[in-house]
Amino acid sequence: MKGPTPRYSALALLRARFKGAGFWMPLWTGRTLKDGYDVVVVGAGGHGLATAFHLVRDHGLKVAVLERRLVGYGNVGRNTTIVRSNYLLPENHYFYEDSLRRWETLSRDLNYNVMYSPRGVVDICLSDGDMIDAARRGNAMRLAGIDSDLMEIDALERFAPELAPRRTRRFPIVGALVQRRGGTVRHDAVAWGYARAATALGTDIIENCDVQGLRTEAGVVTGVETSQGFVRANRVLFATAGHTGMVGKMIGVPLPIETHLLQAMVTEPIKPLINSVLVYVHPGHGETYILQSDRGGVVMGGHLDGFPSYTREGQWHRMEDVVQGAVELLPQVGGLKILRQWAGTNDMTMDGSPIMDRVKYDNVFINAGWCYGGFKTIPASGAACAKLVATGEAADIARGFRLSRFATGHLLDERGGGPFPVRL
Amino acid sequence: MSRLICPFCGPRELREFEFHKTLPNAGESPFERVYLRVDSLTLSVEHWQHVQGCRAWLQIERNPSTGEVLMTRLARSGEAP
Repeated sequence: MKGPTPRYSALALLRARFKGAGFWMPLWTGRTLKDGYDVVVVGAGGHGLATAFHLVRDHGLKVAVLERRLVGYGNVGRNTTIVRSNYLLPENHYFYEDSLRRWETLSRDLNYNVMYSPRGVVDICLSDGDMIDAARRGNAMRLAGIDSDLMEIDALERFAPELAPRRTRRFPIVGALVQRRGGTVRHDAVAWGYARAATALGTDIIENCDVQGLRTEAGVVTGVETSQGFVRANRVLFATAGHTGMVGKMIGVPLPIETHLLQAMVTEPIKPLINSVLVYVHPGHGETYILQSDRGGVVMGGHLDGFPSYTREGQWHRMEDVVQGAVELLPQVGGLKILRQWAGTNDMTMDGSPIMDRVKYDNVFINAGWCYGGFKTIPASGAACAKLVATGEAADIARGFRLSRFATGHLLDERGGGPFPVRL
Repeated sequence: MSRLICPFCGPRELREFEFHKTLPNAGESPFERVYLRVDSLTLSVEHWQHVQGCRAWLQIERNPSTGEVLMTRLARSGEAP
């Protein structure tokens, strides 16, 4: 792999030992905008960068990634780093499983350590009804060849001793659905790794470049107008996550998307306490998922704030819900101080599943609507979206994600909640 | 934005209220009315309900980029949310 950075290996480490600090170069270097490209990708987040990487590597196209702010400034740097494929619907679990398989080898594919940690994702059940629901989902996954374990209390006690599932609680734990291959990935490394790999193959990543509109000729888009001038493009892909609604407005297509806030927070670092990712939907006040980062901080998140917002300021009462859930589940975290709390904008679709399709023009595509689950799908989305943009044909595993499903009634409503993203 | 002013109950904590849907509908067909959304950076007109208070249906105008509440009033009868 040519580029400003050497290929990382044990030998490179050894060489760096003798060459000194000058051996290590920036992961990618700034590029200047050229006149035209095969594909212009709007948005240098996880999905945009992954798609650019696959467009270059798998399809040999000339690609630019235009970013309004900085690489990885949006949700790829704001999520809680969880990866899993424990979905019920076939359209979803095959896709998410493809992604999980790619996570397993991604560090090698990118020559960059993304720190995939298959520590297990534990969906905690509090009632027999929860267990029946978990068994249904677990069985659907197993039929698709995805690992899942329905654990009753003995097995759960062995798998997640920190939970102390036998402890007397107001809402006793009765079991859990566990996906052992689920876990976490270092989120920033994903953005950096894809950016490095894509630029090494010749992709131009242009930061601080605001896309302001599309230029069309005879019903075909010929390029994009940006704050740095006009750029010719044979194809345009929007991968703008929390600002997809704005993109819809810009190209004049109303989308089945509302933009909501999701918060996360992290405590001061402590010694290893939580071995896996614990997901706790607690009666009365929403949801808490909780894990421990490699640095030792306890990372927590919960449900959406509850109304459309672009402020990136989380609501206090939702933070309170998350913390209540965490303390209810693991009383030993009760004394920890929260160091940081933040929020990201989520493009919530009206059935909770993504959209990867053409919009309005033959050569304009969107990769959007990942709701609060976009991070875990980055590798699969990059490959599938690159195929769609390069060949015009949707990848087999992404056929369900077409925009027309809302009009034809082929919804992928995993949650069974109807067209209201914030209702539990 | 941490409070809303209910026309019946006065200023109340935000957690007492539940957001329902943005207005207006993007079109007349059932597909447009049910699934499409007006997603604005500057002005969002919405139906909310004061679920943990008087249960009145409210129409609220907000700026989603700043969180500022511009207007709160009762949703008119006959205008189904």
